[in-house]
Amino acid sequence: MPTLSQFLIALLQALVLLAVAPLFTGFLRAMRARMHTRCGPSVLQDYRDIVKLLKRQDMQPPAAGFAFRFMPIVMVATLLTITMALPVVTRATPIAGLGDMITVIYLFAVVRFFFSLSGLDSGSSFAGIGASRELTLGVLVEPTLVLSILVAALLAGTTDIGGIGAAISSGHVSSLGAVFLAGVAFAFACYFELGKLPYDMAEAEQELQEGPLTEYSGPSLALLKIAMGLKQLLILAFLFAVFLPFGSATDMGILSVVIGLVVFIIKIAVVALILGVVENSVARARFRLTPRHSWSGLGIASLGFVFYLVGL
Amino acid sequence: MNVHIDARVGASHISYLRAKLPHAVLEENWQTPNQVTVTVKLNTLPEAVATLYYGREGWLSVVVCNDERPINDTFGLYYVLSMEGEDRCHVIVHAAVPSSNEEFPSVTPKVPACVWGEREIRDMYGLRPIGLPDERRLVLPDDWPDDLYPLRKDAMDYRLRPPPTSDKENYQFRNDAEGETTVVPLGPLHITSDEPGHFRLFVDGEDIIDADYRMFYVHRGMEKLAETRMGYNEVTFLADRVCGICGYAHSVAYASSIENALGIVVPQRAHAIRSIMLETERLHSHMLNLGLVCQFTGFDSGFMQFFRAREKAMTLAELLTGGRKTYGINLIGGVRRDVLAEQRSRTLALVAELRAEVQRLFEILLATPNFGPRVKGVGILDRKIARDYSPVGPVVRGSGYRRDTRVDHAFAGYGSVDVDINTGDGCDVQSRTMIRAAEIFDSLSLIEQLLDSTPTGPILNEDFVYKPYKFALGFTEAPRGEDIHWSMTGDNQKLYRWRCRASTYANWPVLRYMLRGNTVSDAPLIVGSIDPCYSCCDRMTVVDVRKETSRTIPYKEMERYCRERTDSPLK
Repeated sequence: MPTLSQFLIALLQALVLLAVAPLFTGFLRAMRARMHTRCGPSVLQDYRDIVKLLKRQDMQPPAAGFAFRFMPIVMVATLLTITMALPVVTRATPIAGLGDMITVIYLFAVVRFFFSLSGLDSGSSFAGIGASRELTLGVLVEPTLVLSILVAALLAGTTDIGGIGAAISSGHVSSLGAVFLAGVAFAFACYFELGKLPYDMAEAEQELQEGPLTEYSGPSLALLKIAMGLKQLLILAFLFAVFLPFGSATDMGILSVVIGLVVFIIKIAVVALILGVVENSVARARFRLTPRHSWSGLGIASLGFVFYLVGL
Repeated sequence: MNVHIDARVGASHISYLRAKLPHAVLEENWQTPNQVTVTVKLNTLPEAVATLYYGREGWLSVVVCNDERPINDTFGLYYVLSMEGEDRCHVIVHAAVPSSNEEFPSVTPKVPACVWGEREIRDMYGLRPIGLPDERRLVLPDDWPDDLYPLRKDAMDYRLRPPPTSDKENYQFRNDAEGETTVVPLGPLHITSDEPGHFRLFVDGEDIIDADYRMFYVHRGMEKLAETRMGYNEVTFLADRVCGICGYAHSVAYASSIENALGIVVPQRAHAIRSIMLETERLHSHMLNLGLVCQFTGFDSGFMQFFRAREKAMTLAELLTGGRKTYGINLIGGVRRDVLAEQRSRTLALVAELRAEVQRLFEILLATPNFGPRVKGVGILDRKIARDYSPVGPVVRGSGYRRDTRVDHAFAGYGSVDVDINTGDGCDVQSRTMIRAAEIFDSLSLIEQLLDSTPTGPILNEDFVYKPYKFALGFTEAPRGEDIHWSMTGDNQKLYRWRCRASTYANWPVLRYMLRGNTVSDAPLIVGSIDPCYSCCDRMTVVDVRKETSRTIPYKEMERYCRERTDSPLK
């Protein structure tokens, strides 16, 4: 059982990340504008959008049922649970039992499942196509995700995310080549999961009118916007916690926590920069051709597994 | 144009027609040395059009109907064919429908390209095309009264808005799919189109099995307006407003139709200036489309960059005309504004800048990951379909046909410069996009050539009088393809009939075939690749589309609400 202080820290972490998620997406938006040679909105624009949406009426298509209605809440709740499980500033997971890689991966799968379900439930054909694309992407990406993290877990001898991170950062793993390959494959899979161009097929604006988001409006859409931002932050935090834990706080001293926080912000900023360059210099991939892209990720992960087996 | 050439071109087509169909031709009537109207017997009309279309490499430009009952108690049908094999000219097949029997044999079963034209005649004049396979309304909305034909001379005032007759949308969309399909509606308002058009995609999974669409949501009643309340020169400026992108092409086409009808000699310098403006218009229009292709494929950076570069083309227009668009320059008989030496040198400098910039952006676009696979092999326009439906501009050139009005029927200043025709044989979005890109560079060099060799002299000929009931064609190659206008002068200083056919009108009917076999996500890209101009086609009737309620909100009230944002009149 987690102690009260562990629980409070986890809760605090969840709420803070929830609060800064729009800042993160706002930052990406501002960067995108720069790449377009536009002035663009301020980084706080997403907060304004959310406030505006919260005041609007919540409309539903007549064909929609409870899955459509509850999806935003389920999505935010599940993501908050993940937030409480992931080590963000610290190296160890805030709540030990929850920070298991299998739990986290399947919690992400829950998010995906409900997201697609709502698309099918809305009765809109665009949302339906978006939903089926979302599920297809899941099938394509999850093997890479699981296999690459499995390599890391086998090397560290634990499935606890904090434990894997600790093992990797302290160098207590026997096969550096395997860790590197697994890390690359994992990062690749994470890029798919982020839903950024060229792989934003499920929410493709010009193709599918934002897929499952099509029919949402008002407060539900606001919740979804926050949730999408939070999901992106969490995927990055997941990547950092397992493969790039360097700099995070190993103890609960004020100094190391502050350093951990600063390092986390720097990592996010660097990744955001890379993301911005990549997503603004590509066209959207054809959905039909996506498996070709995702197979290479699985290839790298498998190679990592082979490296682990031979101990390179 | 080319009124100075005296030898008649195209007599061979008439003798071919006489040989193939003896007794069909009643009379021939030359408007200009390369424009001839042949009157045929009504029952031989389909044969005559098909003979010229397939036998002599004719392409259908437009189908015009004219209510000539006050003149000779008939409705005139004019099938305008652009002859692009040997002896290039325009042959207009004319048949008279007696007012006592309001029907005519449909040409569509023999020449599919006539389908939109004949549907429109049915809507606007109430003449029934016997044998037309598609008898749905084309232009009129569902709630329009059955027996009111807007373009008949005795039908209605242009301000009349008849009360809606039905409150249901009863347009039948056609689905030729064999198996079971799901319907994906696209529009009337869709995120990637700035104008209303409603597409029904019949899909199986993500594959489009068939598609159907309806346009004409935004009628502006331009033809009726021109015929009932505008003078000849005012229509030149109205024609500018047919399109927000390529309006100048329409005003040149209109002005030259009147010039052809009355035999007005336009000064050579005016011709050259018109061509310079037309190329400027093509520049910014094609750059707009390249930007949109970027956007449709999710490459927003390219979209923004092309729009930034396009601003230079607008500056070019501003230099030459004083406005950001090439509007308000034409008059019948010439142009209103000369190109001075200083403007000439600044234009040349700007052209050089633009060339470098577009070159760089174009290279970036080609090197963008995923861009190639997104456009290659998508939206195939089969060559056979293209031949049957007479599409125009980059759409038909992308399928390998060398059709370009600038070369086929050199008008304005194009006779004095070398124009390249760019064609592609991919038949897909990629070849259409590449053609547009190549045409940007061609336009730049054409502007240079024209500025270097502009003849001196006057820019306007005002030495002519209007004569009643003269008619002729005017044509231009707009960025989207051939624009064609058929005008007939009246006896009251107004046009008796003005038929204005925008290039996109000729391209819509083939879209259905281009959509088949692709995925839903490619649909906006394919629609975008014909570079559609929705409203340009919608120019005929004033329509009140407010169906739900009979209460009409006055325009002033809407305007007030826009300003003050209080007391919504819609509540």
